[in-house]
Amino acid sequence: MIALAGIESCKTLAEFMVNLIPGGVVFGLVEGDTFVWVKSSDSFTVDFFKVGNQLNADTTTMQAIREKKVLTQNIPRTVYGKRISIVSIPVINDKDEAVGALSIIFPKLHPIAAAFEDFAPILAEMFHEGSFLYMSDLTKIAYTQASEKFDMPSISVGDDLIESNIAFQVIKSKKPMTEEIEASRYGMPLTIANFPLFDDGNEEVVATLGIVTPKNTAVTLRQMSLNLENSLTGIAAAIQQLAASASEIHSNERALNSDIKEIINISEEIHEVSTFIKEIADETKMLGLNAAIEAARAGDAGRGFGVVAEEIRKLSAQSKSTVPKIQKLTNTIKQRVDETSERSNRSLDASQGQAAASEQITASIEEITSMAEALSNISKTL
Amino acid sequence: MSSIQLVVFRLGEEEYGIEIGFAQEIIRIPAQITKMPDMPSYLKGVIDLRGKVIPIIDLKERFGFRQAERSEDSRLLILDLENMLLGVLVDDISEVIKIEDEAIEKLSVEITSLGNNAIQGIARIDERLILLLNALKLKIEVFRSCE
Repeated sequence: MIALAGIESCKTLAEFMVNLIPGGVVFGLVEGDTFVWVKSSDSFTVDFFKVGNQLNADTTTMQAIREKKVLTQNIPRTVYGKRISIVSIPVINDKDEAVGALSIIFPKLHPIAAAFEDFAPILAEMFHEGSFLYMSDLTKIAYTQASEKFDMPSISVGDDLIESNIAFQVIKSKKPMTEEIEASRYGMPLTIANFPLFDDGNEEVVATLGIVTPKNTAVTLRQMSLNLENSLTGIAAAIQQLAASASEIHSNERALNSDIKEIINISEEIHEVSTFIKEIADETKMLGLNAAIEAARAGDAGRGFGVVAEEIRKLSAQSKSTVPKIQKLTNTIKQRVDETSERSNRSLDASQGQAAASEQITASIEEITSMAEALSNISKTL
Repeated sequence: MSSIQLVVFRLGEEEYGIEIGFAQEIIRIPAQITKMPDMPSYLKGVIDLRGKVIPIIDLKERFGFRQAERSEDSRLLILDLENMLLGVLVDDISEVIKIEDEAIEKLSVEITSLGNNAIQGIARIDERLILLLNALKLKIEVFRSCE
Protein backbone atom coordinates (compact mmCIF):
# COMPACT_ATOMS: atom_id res chain seq x y z
CA MET A 1 0.00 0.00 0.00
CA ILE A 2 1.10 3.53 -0.61
CA ALA A 3 1.22 6.26 2.03
CA LEU A 4 -0.57 9.42 1.01
CA ALA A 5 2.58 11.33 1.70
CA GLY A 6 4.52 9.34 -0.88
CA ILE A 7 1.97 9.69 -3.64
CA GLU A 8 3.79 12.53 -5.43
CA SER A 9 6.93 10.37 -5.68
CA CYS A 10 4.86 7.58 -7.18
CA LYS A 11 3.45 9.96 -9.78
CA THR A 12 6.94 11.14 -10.69
CA LEU A 13 8.12 7.53 -10.99
CA ALA A 14 5.08 6.67 -13.14
CA GLU A 15 5.83 9.61 -15.49
CA PHE A 16 9.22 8.05 -16.19
CA MET A 17 8.11 4.47 -16.49
CA VAL A 18 4.96 4.88 -18.57
CA ASN A 19 6.70 4.51 -21.96
CA LEU A 20 9.33 2.08 -20.79
CA ILE A 21 7.01 -0.86 -20.10
CA PRO A 22 6.69 -3.19 -23.12
CA GLY A 23 3.09 -3.37 -24.36
CA GLY A 24 2.25 -0.06 -22.69
CA VAL A 25 0.59 0.83 -19.40
CA VAL A 26 -1.86 3.29 -17.84
CA PHE A 27 -1.39 4.73 -14.39
CA GLY A 28 -4.44 6.25 -12.67
CA LEU A 29 -4.84 7.89 -9.26
CA VAL A 30 -8.25 7.69 -7.66
CA GLU A 31 -9.39 9.83 -4.78
CA GLY A 32 -12.58 8.54 -3.24
CA ASP A 33 -14.17 7.20 -6.41
CA THR A 34 -12.89 9.69 -9.00
CA PHE A 35 -9.80 9.77 -11.20
CA VAL A 36 -7.72 12.75 -10.24
CA TRP A 37 -4.63 11.92 -12.23
CA VAL A 38 -4.09 9.62 -15.25
CA LYS A 39 -0.92 8.90 -17.14
CA SER A 40 -1.16 6.72 -20.32
CA SER A 41 1.59 5.29 -22.47
CA ASP A 42 1.78 6.24 -26.14
CA SER A 43 0.99 2.71 -27.37
CA PHE A 44 -1.80 1.82 -24.96
CA THR A 45 -4.68 3.78 -23.47
CA VAL A 46 -8.08 2.95 -22.10
CA ASP A 47 -10.73 5.55 -22.90
CA PHE A 48 -12.56 5.19 -19.61
CA PHE A 49 -9.47 5.97 -17.56
CA LYS A 50 -9.75 9.76 -17.64
CA VAL A 51 -9.49 12.44 -15.02
CA GLY A 52 -12.94 13.12 -13.61
CA ASN A 53 -14.46 9.74 -14.39
CA GLN A 54 -16.13 8.06 -11.45
CA LEU A 55 -15.74 4.40 -10.67
CA ASN A 56 -18.57 2.09 -9.75
CA ALA A 57 -18.51 0.40 -6.39
CA ASP A 58 -17.98 -3.04 -7.97
CA THR A 59 -14.74 -2.11 -9.69
CA THR A 60 -11.48 -3.64 -8.63
CA THR A 61 -10.14 -0.28 -7.49
CA MET A 62 -13.13 0.45 -5.26
CA GLN A 63 -12.89 -3.03 -3.82
CA ALA A 64 -9.20 -2.56 -3.06
CA ILE A 65 -9.98 0.72 -1.26
CA ARG A 66 -12.74 -0.90 0.75
CA GLU A 67 -10.69 -3.88 1.71
CA LYS A 68 -7.41 -1.92 2.09
CA LYS A 69 -5.71 -4.65 0.07
CA VAL A 70 -3.67 -4.71 -3.09
CA LEU A 71 -5.86 -6.40 -5.69
CA THR A 72 -5.01 -7.74 -9.11
CA GLN A 73 -7.76 -8.59 -11.52
CA ASN A 74 -8.23 -9.49 -15.18
CA ILE A 75 -11.02 -7.57 -16.81
CA PRO A 76 -12.70 -9.14 -19.82
CA ARG A 77 -13.07 -7.35 -23.14
CA THR A 78 -16.74 -6.69 -22.52
CA VAL A 79 -16.01 -4.07 -19.88
CA TYR A 80 -13.58 -1.68 -21.58
CA GLY A 81 -13.43 -3.01 -25.14
CA LYS A 82 -10.08 -4.66 -24.62
CA ARG A 83 -8.71 -7.19 -22.26
CA ILE A 84 -6.76 -5.66 -19.41
CA SER A 85 -5.20 -6.50 -16.10
CA ILE A 86 -5.60 -4.07 -13.27
CA VAL A 87 -3.43 -3.79 -10.19
CA SER A 88 -4.99 -1.54 -7.57
CA ILE A 89 -2.89 -0.35 -4.67
CA PRO A 90 -4.85 1.47 -1.88
CA VAL A 91 -3.53 4.90 -0.71
CA ILE A 92 -3.54 5.24 3.10
CA ASN A 93 -3.53 8.48 5.03
CA ASP A 94 -1.78 8.90 8.37
CA LYS A 95 -4.93 7.75 10.18
CA ASP A 96 -4.63 4.45 8.39
CA GLU A 97 -7.68 5.15 6.29
CA ALA A 98 -7.84 4.20 2.62
CA VAL A 99 -8.60 7.43 0.83
CA GLY A 100 -7.94 6.34 -2.71
CA ALA A 101 -5.87 4.02 -4.85
CA LEU A 102 -3.19 3.92 -7.48
CA SER A 103 -4.38 1.72 -10.34
CA ILE A 104 -1.96 0.31 -12.89
CA ILE A 105 -3.58 -1.03 -16.04
CA PHE A 106 -1.74 -3.44 -18.36
CA PRO A 107 -3.04 -4.61 -21.70
CA LYS A 108 -3.87 -8.28 -21.43
CA LEU A 109 -2.50 -9.92 -24.53
CA HIS A 110 -2.16 -13.64 -25.34
CA PRO A 111 1.56 -14.51 -25.50
CA ILE A 112 1.15 -15.72 -29.08
CA ALA A 113 -0.55 -12.49 -30.10
CA ALA A 114 2.15 -10.56 -28.35
CA ALA A 115 4.82 -12.46 -30.21
CA PHE A 116 2.95 -12.61 -33.55
CA GLU A 117 4.92 -9.80 -35.14
CA ASP A 118 8.12 -11.58 -34.17
CA PHE A 119 7.48 -15.19 -35.10
CA ALA A 120 4.93 -14.91 -37.92
CA PRO A 121 7.31 -13.50 -40.60
CA ILE A 122 9.74 -16.34 -39.91
CA LEU A 123 7.14 -19.10 -39.63
CA ALA A 124 5.36 -17.95 -42.79
CA GLU A 125 8.51 -18.51 -44.85
CA MET A 126 9.10 -21.97 -43.44
CA PHE A 127 6.55 -23.73 -45.65
CA HIS A 128 8.02 -24.68 -48.99
CA GLU A 129 5.09 -23.24 -50.93
CA GLY A 130 4.87 -20.26 -48.58
CA SER A 131 2.00 -19.61 -46.20
CA PHE A 132 -0.33 -16.96 -44.82
CA LEU A 133 -0.71 -16.56 -41.06
CA TYR A 134 -3.44 -14.68 -39.29
CA MET A 135 -4.84 -14.20 -35.83
CA SER A 136 -8.33 -13.30 -34.89
CA ASP A 137 -9.88 -12.26 -31.65
CA LEU A 138 -13.44 -13.37 -31.02
CA THR A 139 -14.96 -11.13 -33.65
CA LYS A 140 -12.34 -9.74 -36.01
CA ILE A 141 -9.15 -10.50 -37.86
CA ALA A 142 -6.44 -9.03 -35.62
CA TYR A 143 -3.16 -9.73 -37.38
CA THR A 144 -2.09 -11.02 -40.78
CA GLN A 145 1.25 -12.15 -42.14
CA ALA A 146 1.89 -13.01 -45.79
CA SER A 147 4.95 -14.86 -47.05
CA GLU A 148 7.05 -14.07 -50.05
CA LYS A 149 5.53 -16.89 -52.09
CA PHE A 150 1.95 -16.70 -50.92
CA ASP A 151 -0.52 -14.07 -49.81
CA MET A 152 -4.27 -13.92 -49.24
CA PRO A 153 -5.29 -10.38 -50.10
CA SER A 154 -8.95 -11.26 -49.36
CA ILE A 155 -8.19 -11.46 -45.62
CA SER A 156 -7.20 -8.22 -43.96
CA VAL A 157 -6.98 -6.85 -40.45
CA GLY A 158 -10.32 -5.67 -39.14
CA ASP A 159 -12.46 -8.03 -41.22
CA ASP A 160 -15.39 -9.39 -39.23
CA LEU A 161 -15.50 -13.11 -38.66
CA ILE A 162 -18.53 -14.67 -40.25
CA GLU A 163 -20.11 -17.99 -39.51
CA SER A 164 -18.50 -19.76 -42.44
CA ASN A 165 -15.00 -18.84 -41.25
CA ILE A 166 -13.06 -21.68 -39.80
CA ALA A 167 -11.96 -19.29 -36.99
CA PHE A 168 -15.61 -18.79 -36.07
CA GLN A 169 -16.12 -22.55 -35.80
CA VAL A 170 -12.93 -23.00 -33.78
CA ILE A 171 -14.07 -20.34 -31.29
CA LYS A 172 -17.34 -22.23 -30.91
CA SER A 173 -15.90 -25.73 -30.70
CA LYS A 174 -12.72 -24.75 -28.78
CA LYS A 175 -10.87 -27.35 -30.81
CA PRO A 176 -8.23 -27.05 -33.53
CA MET A 177 -9.60 -27.60 -37.03
CA THR A 178 -8.11 -28.24 -40.43
CA GLU A 179 -9.95 -27.58 -43.65
CA GLU A 180 -9.03 -28.51 -47.21
CA ILE A 181 -10.15 -25.93 -49.72
CA GLU A 182 -10.64 -26.74 -53.38
CA ALA A 183 -8.75 -24.79 -56.02
CA SER A 184 -12.06 -23.39 -57.30
CA ARG A 185 -12.39 -21.03 -54.31
CA TYR A 186 -9.05 -19.25 -54.20
CA GLY A 187 -7.44 -20.30 -57.47
CA MET A 188 -5.31 -22.96 -55.87
CA PRO A 189 -5.86 -25.78 -53.41
CA LEU A 190 -5.31 -24.69 -49.80
CA THR A 191 -5.15 -26.16 -46.36
CA ILE A 192 -6.31 -23.93 -43.50
CA ALA A 193 -5.39 -24.98 -39.99
CA ASN A 194 -6.86 -23.00 -37.14
CA PHE A 195 -5.99 -23.31 -33.47
CA PRO A 196 -7.92 -21.87 -30.51
CA LEU A 197 -5.81 -19.79 -28.08
CA PHE A 198 -6.91 -19.97 -24.47
CA ASP A 199 -6.58 -17.39 -21.75
CA ASP A 200 -4.06 -18.15 -19.05
CA GLY A 201 -5.36 -20.58 -16.52
CA ASN A 202 -8.90 -20.98 -17.83
CA GLU A 203 -10.82 -22.59 -20.66
CA GLU A 204 -11.87 -19.34 -22.27
CA VAL A 205 -10.99 -19.02 -25.95
CA VAL A 206 -9.64 -15.53 -26.47
CA ALA A 207 -8.20 -15.75 -29.98
CA THR A 208 -7.41 -18.02 -32.86
CA LEU A 209 -4.29 -18.60 -34.90
CA GLY A 210 -4.73 -19.61 -38.52
CA ILE A 211 -2.17 -20.96 -40.96
CA VAL A 212 -3.09 -21.09 -44.62
CA THR A 213 -0.80 -23.18 -46.84
CA PRO A 214 -1.09 -23.71 -50.58
CA LYS A 215 -1.20 -27.40 -51.59
CA ASN A 216 -0.12 -27.23 -55.21
CA THR A 217 2.72 -29.72 -54.81
CA ALA A 218 0.70 -32.21 -52.80
CA VAL A 219 -2.27 -32.00 -55.14
CA THR A 220 -0.02 -32.34 -58.19
CA LEU A 221 1.69 -35.29 -56.55
CA ARG A 222 -1.63 -36.89 -55.70
CA GLN A 223 -2.85 -36.33 -59.24
CA MET A 224 0.34 -37.82 -60.62
CA SER A 225 0.21 -40.85 -58.39
CA LEU A 226 -3.44 -41.31 -59.38
CA ASN A 227 -2.49 -41.08 -63.06
CA LEU A 228 0.33 -43.51 -62.42
CA GLU A 229 -2.08 -45.93 -60.78
CA ASN A 230 -4.49 -45.62 -63.69
CA SER A 231 -1.75 -46.15 -66.27
CA LEU A 232 -0.48 -49.15 -64.36
CA THR A 233 -3.97 -50.61 -64.23
CA GLY A 234 -4.12 -50.17 -68.00
CA ILE A 235 -0.73 -51.79 -68.48
CA ALA A 236 -1.69 -54.65 -66.18
CA ALA A 237 -4.82 -55.23 -68.23
CA ALA A 238 -2.82 -55.12 -71.47
CA ILE A 239 -0.36 -57.62 -70.07
CA GLN A 240 -3.15 -59.88 -68.98
CA GLN A 241 -4.44 -59.79 -72.54
CA LEU A 242 -0.93 -60.53 -73.74
CA ALA A 243 -0.68 -63.48 -71.39
CA ALA A 244 -4.08 -64.68 -72.56
CA SER A 245 -3.02 -64.49 -76.21
CA ALA A 246 0.27 -66.17 -75.36
CA SER A 247 -1.63 -69.06 -73.87
CA GLU A 248 -3.88 -69.09 -76.94
CA ILE A 249 -0.78 -69.23 -79.14
CA HIS A 250 0.44 -72.03 -76.91
CA SER A 251 -2.73 -74.09 -77.35
CA ASN A 252 -2.82 -73.31 -81.09
CA GLU A 253 0.73 -74.50 -81.44
CA ARG A 254 -0.17 -77.69 -79.60
CA ALA A 255 -3.09 -78.24 -81.97
CA LEU A 256 -0.77 -77.49 -84.89
CA ASN A 257 1.70 -80.04 -83.58
CA SER A 258 -0.90 -82.78 -83.39
CA ASP A 259 -2.17 -81.83 -86.89
CA ILE A 260 1.39 -82.11 -88.15
CA LYS A 261 1.72 -85.56 -86.65
CA GLU A 262 -1.48 -86.56 -88.41
CA ILE A 263 -0.11 -85.21 -91.70
CA ILE A 264 3.04 -87.26 -91.18
CA ASN A 265 0.90 -90.36 -90.62
CA ILE A 266 -1.14 -89.63 -93.73
CA SER A 267 1.93 -89.15 -95.86
CA GLU A 268 3.27 -92.42 -94.51
CA GLU A 269 0.02 -94.06 -95.54
CA ILE A 270 0.34 -92.50 -99.00
CA HIS A 271 3.83 -93.93 -99.10
CA GLU A 272 2.45 -97.37 -98.31
CA VAL A 273 -0.22 -97.00 -100.98
CA SER A 274 2.46 -96.05 -103.50
CA THR A 275 4.44 -99.12 -102.54
CA PHE A 276 1.33 -101.12 -103.23
CA ILE A 277 0.97 -99.41 -106.63
CA LYS A 278 4.57 -100.34 -107.37
CA GLU A 279 3.86 -103.96 -106.55
CA ILE A 280 0.84 -103.96 -108.83
CA ALA A 281 2.91 -102.30 -111.56
CA ASP A 282 5.64 -104.92 -111.17
CA GLU A 283 3.08 -107.65 -111.35
CA THR A 284 1.42 -106.11 -114.39
CA LYS A 285 4.78 -105.70 -116.06
CA MET A 286 5.57 -109.35 -115.55
CA LEU A 287 2.12 -110.20 -116.85
CA GLY A 288 2.78 -108.06 -119.96
CA LEU A 289 6.19 -109.61 -120.55
CA ASN A 290 4.86 -113.10 -120.14
CA ALA A 291 2.01 -112.27 -122.48
CA ALA A 292 4.54 -110.96 -125.02
CA ILE A 293 6.57 -114.16 -124.71
CA GLU A 294 3.40 -116.20 -125.08
CA ALA A 295 2.39 -114.17 -128.14
CA ALA A 296 5.80 -114.67 -129.76
CA ARG A 297 5.60 -118.39 -129.18
CA ALA A 298 2.20 -118.44 -130.85
CA GLY A 299 3.83 -116.96 -133.94
CA ASP A 300 1.61 -115.08 -136.41
CA ALA A 301 -1.51 -116.09 -134.51
CA GLY A 302 -0.26 -114.27 -131.42
CA ARG A 303 0.56 -111.00 -133.16
CA GLY A 304 -2.57 -109.14 -132.00
CA PHE A 305 -2.10 -110.46 -128.52
CA GLY A 306 1.51 -109.23 -128.66
CA VAL A 307 0.25 -105.67 -129.24
CA VAL A 308 -2.03 -105.97 -126.20
CA ALA A 309 0.87 -107.38 -124.20
CA GLU A 310 3.03 -104.39 -125.20
CA GLU A 311 0.28 -101.98 -124.14
CA ILE A 312 -0.04 -103.73 -120.79
CA ARG A 313 3.71 -103.46 -120.34
CA LYS A 314 3.69 -99.74 -121.22
CA LEU A 315 0.81 -99.19 -118.82
CA SER A 316 2.73 -100.92 -116.07
CA ALA A 317 5.79 -98.79 -116.83
CA GLN A 318 3.63 -95.66 -116.62
CA SER A 319 2.05 -96.71 -113.31
CA LYS A 320 5.44 -97.57 -111.95
CA SER A 321 6.90 -94.22 -113.00
CA THR A 322 4.26 -92.46 -110.89
CA VAL A 323 5.49 -94.25 -107.81
CA PRO A 324 8.82 -92.41 -107.41
CA LYS A 325 6.95 -89.14 -108.10
CA ILE A 326 4.47 -89.92 -105.37
CA GLN A 327 7.28 -90.97 -103.07
CA LYS A 328 9.22 -87.83 -103.88
CA LEU A 329 6.12 -85.78 -103.07
CA THR A 330 5.46 -87.63 -99.84
CA ASN A 331 9.11 -87.21 -98.90
CA THR A 332 8.86 -83.48 -99.63
CA ILE A 333 5.71 -83.33 -97.53
CA LYS A 334 7.48 -85.14 -94.72
CA GLN A 335 10.49 -82.86 -94.93
CA ARG A 336 8.36 -79.70 -94.99
CA VAL A 337 6.17 -80.97 -92.20
CA ASP A 338 9.25 -81.79 -90.14
CA GLU A 339 10.48 -78.23 -90.65
CA THR A 340 7.05 -76.87 -89.76
CA SER A 341 6.97 -79.07 -86.71
CA GLU A 342 10.35 -77.79 -85.60
CA ARG A 343 9.22 -74.20 -86.11
CA SER A 344 6.03 -74.78 -84.20
CA ASN A 345 8.06 -76.34 -81.39
CA ARG A 346 10.21 -73.23 -81.35
CA SER A 347 7.07 -71.06 -81.25
CA LEU A 348 5.82 -73.24 -78.43
CA ASP A 349 9.02 -72.57 -76.49
CA ALA A 350 8.85 -68.88 -77.34
CA SER A 351 5.24 -68.62 -76.23
CA GLN A 352 6.16 -70.31 -72.97
CA GLY A 353 8.96 -67.79 -72.56
CA GLN A 354 6.50 -65.03 -73.31
CA ALA A 355 4.09 -66.29 -70.68
CA ALA A 356 6.91 -66.40 -68.12
CA ALA A 357 8.08 -62.91 -69.06
CA SER A 358 4.59 -61.46 -68.82
CA GLU A 359 4.23 -63.02 -65.38
CA GLN A 360 7.43 -61.27 -64.34
CA ILE A 361 6.19 -57.98 -65.78
CA THR A 362 2.90 -58.42 -63.94
CA ALA A 363 4.81 -58.92 -60.69
CA SER A 364 6.91 -55.80 -61.32
CA ILE A 365 3.81 -53.79 -62.14
CA GLU A 366 2.14 -54.94 -58.96
CA GLU A 367 5.18 -53.67 -57.11
CA ILE A 368 5.09 -50.34 -58.91
CA THR A 369 1.34 -50.11 -58.30
CA SER A 370 1.79 -50.53 -54.58
CA MET A 371 4.54 -47.90 -54.72
CA ALA A 372 2.15 -45.54 -56.51
CA GLU A 373 -0.43 -46.20 -53.79
CA ALA A 374 2.17 -45.44 -51.14
CA LEU A 375 3.05 -42.24 -53.01
CA SER A 376 -0.60 -41.28 -53.11
CA ASN A 377 -0.87 -41.87 -49.36
CA ILE A 378 2.22 -39.72 -48.75
CA SER A 379 0.77 -36.94 -50.88
CA LYS A 380 -2.38 -37.04 -48.72
CA THR A 381 -0.31 -36.39 -45.62
CA LEU A 382 1.53 -33.40 -47.13
CA MET B 1 13.67 -106.63 -143.75
CA SER B 2 13.91 -109.29 -141.16
CA SER B 3 13.81 -108.59 -137.49
CA ILE B 4 14.02 -110.43 -134.22
CA GLN B 5 12.22 -110.03 -130.93
CA LEU B 6 14.28 -109.84 -127.81
CA VAL B 7 13.58 -110.23 -124.13
CA VAL B 8 15.75 -107.50 -122.56
CA PHE B 9 17.06 -107.78 -119.01
CA ARG B 10 19.83 -106.31 -116.95
CA LEU B 11 22.85 -107.89 -115.31
CA GLY B 12 24.35 -105.22 -113.13
CA GLU B 13 24.61 -102.06 -115.26
CA GLU B 14 24.52 -103.82 -118.61
CA GLU B 15 21.54 -104.77 -120.71
CA TYR B 16 21.32 -108.17 -122.29
CA GLY B 17 18.93 -109.55 -124.83
CA ILE B 18 17.89 -113.08 -125.68
CA GLU B 19 15.68 -114.20 -128.55
CA ILE B 20 12.11 -114.41 -127.43
CA GLY B 21 11.71 -117.84 -128.87
CA PHE B 22 13.96 -119.22 -126.16
CA ALA B 23 12.02 -117.54 -123.39
CA GLN B 24 9.23 -119.47 -121.80
CA GLU B 25 8.16 -117.21 -118.96
CA ILE B 26 9.18 -114.79 -116.27
CA ILE B 27 8.49 -115.44 -112.61
CA ARG B 28 9.43 -113.99 -109.27
CA ILE B 29 12.36 -115.67 -107.62
CA PRO B 30 10.86 -118.43 -105.49
CA ALA B 31 11.54 -118.20 -101.79
CA GLN B 32 12.80 -121.71 -101.78
CA ILE B 33 15.49 -123.01 -104.13
CA THR B 34 16.56 -126.54 -103.39
CA LYS B 35 20.34 -126.63 -103.22
CA MET B 36 22.21 -129.54 -104.70
CA PRO B 37 25.46 -130.86 -103.28
CA ASP B 38 28.83 -130.68 -105.00
CA MET B 39 27.86 -128.20 -107.67
CA PRO B 40 29.55 -125.06 -109.02
CA SER B 41 28.48 -122.06 -106.94
CA TYR B 42 26.64 -120.38 -109.86
CA LEU B 43 24.25 -123.33 -109.95
CA LYS B 44 21.91 -122.24 -107.21
CA GLY B 45 19.88 -125.39 -107.12
CA VAL B 46 16.57 -126.56 -108.55
CA ILE B 47 12.96 -125.50 -108.28
CA ASP B 48 9.70 -127.18 -108.98
CA LEU B 49 7.71 -125.26 -111.57
CA ARG B 50 4.31 -126.77 -112.17
CA GLY B 51 5.60 -130.29 -111.83
CA LYS B 52 8.86 -129.78 -113.69
CA VAL B 53 12.25 -129.65 -111.99
CA ILE B 54 14.25 -126.74 -113.33
CA PRO B 55 17.90 -125.96 -112.54
CA ILE B 56 18.62 -122.38 -111.59
CA ILE B 57 21.85 -120.57 -112.46
CA ASP B 58 23.05 -117.16 -111.37
CA LEU B 59 24.12 -115.66 -114.68
CA LYS B 60 26.09 -112.87 -113.08
CA GLU B 61 28.09 -115.33 -111.07
CA ARG B 62 28.55 -117.47 -114.12
CA PHE B 63 29.82 -114.46 -116.10
CA GLY B 64 32.28 -113.58 -113.36
CA PHE B 65 30.57 -110.43 -112.00
CA ARG B 66 31.97 -109.52 -108.63
CA GLN B 67 28.71 -108.41 -107.16
CA ALA B 68 26.00 -110.96 -107.45
CA GLU B 69 23.41 -109.72 -104.98
CA ARG B 70 19.74 -109.60 -105.88
CA SER B 71 17.38 -106.67 -105.73
CA GLU B 72 13.62 -106.55 -105.39
CA ASP B 73 13.45 -106.21 -109.17
CA SER B 74 15.44 -109.43 -109.68
CA ARG B 75 13.49 -112.09 -111.58
CA LEU B 76 13.79 -115.60 -112.74
CA LEU B 77 13.74 -115.93 -116.52
CA ILE B 78 12.76 -119.46 -117.58
CA LEU B 79 14.44 -120.38 -120.86
CA ASP B 80 13.42 -123.26 -123.10
CA LEU B 81 16.66 -124.43 -124.67
CA GLU B 82 15.66 -127.13 -127.07
CA ASN B 83 13.40 -128.98 -124.69
CA MET B 84 15.57 -128.28 -121.71
CA LEU B 85 14.24 -125.78 -119.21
CA LEU B 86 16.74 -123.52 -117.45
CA GLY B 87 16.05 -120.78 -114.95
CA VAL B 88 18.44 -117.80 -115.01
CA LEU B 89 18.56 -115.19 -112.26
CA VAL B 90 18.65 -111.68 -113.77
CA ASP B 91 18.35 -108.10 -112.45
CA ASP B 92 15.07 -106.72 -113.73
CA ILE B 93 13.57 -107.81 -117.00
CA SER B 94 12.81 -104.50 -118.66
CA GLU B 95 11.02 -105.20 -121.90
CA VAL B 96 10.29 -107.23 -124.98
CA ILE B 97 11.48 -105.35 -128.08
CA LYS B 98 11.64 -105.92 -131.77
CA ILE B 99 14.88 -104.90 -133.47
CA GLU B 100 15.93 -104.87 -137.07
CA ASP B 101 18.84 -107.03 -138.16
CA GLU B 102 20.73 -103.91 -139.27
CA ALA B 103 20.82 -102.72 -135.69
CA ILE B 104 22.86 -105.73 -134.70
CA GLU B 105 26.60 -105.73 -134.91
CA LYS B 106 28.22 -109.15 -134.99
CA LEU B 107 31.36 -109.39 -132.95
CA SER B 108 34.47 -110.40 -134.83
CA VAL B 109 35.79 -113.89 -134.27
CA GLU B 110 38.95 -112.43 -132.79
CA ILE B 111 37.00 -110.90 -129.99
CA THR B 112 34.61 -113.77 -129.33
CA SER B 113 37.49 -116.17 -129.18
CA LEU B 114 39.03 -114.25 -126.28
CA GLY B 115 36.26 -115.23 -123.93
CA ASN B 116 34.14 -118.26 -123.73
CA ASN B 117 30.87 -116.53 -123.05
CA ALA B 118 27.82 -116.69 -125.13
CA ILE B 119 27.69 -113.10 -126.54
CA GLN B 120 26.89 -113.25 -130.24
CA GLY B 121 26.53 -109.56 -131.03
CA ILE B 122 25.55 -106.08 -129.87
CA ALA B 123 22.26 -104.40 -130.65
CA ARG B 124 22.20 -100.60 -130.73
CA ILE B 125 18.89 -98.92 -129.95
CA ASP B 126 19.16 -95.12 -129.67
CA GLU B 127 21.82 -94.67 -127.03
CA ARG B 128 21.48 -98.12 -125.56
CA LEU B 129 23.78 -101.04 -126.23
CA ILE B 130 22.24 -104.45 -125.67
CA LEU B 131 24.45 -107.51 -125.50
CA LEU B 132 22.87 -110.36 -127.43
CA LEU B 133 23.11 -113.77 -125.85
CA ASN B 134 23.28 -116.88 -127.98
CA ALA B 135 20.91 -119.12 -126.10
CA LEU B 136 22.20 -122.38 -127.46
CA LYS B 137 25.78 -121.44 -126.83
CA LEU B 138 24.78 -120.46 -123.35
CA LYS B 139 23.36 -123.92 -122.82
CA ILE B 140 26.55 -125.52 -124.03
CA GLU B 141 28.74 -123.23 -121.95
CA VAL B 142 26.76 -123.67 -118.82
CA PHE B 143 26.58 -127.35 -118.96
CA ARG B 144 29.95 -128.01 -120.48
CA SER B 145 31.65 -126.78 -117.37
CA CYS B 146 29.31 -128.88 -115.35
CA GLU B 147 30.25 -132.00 -117.12
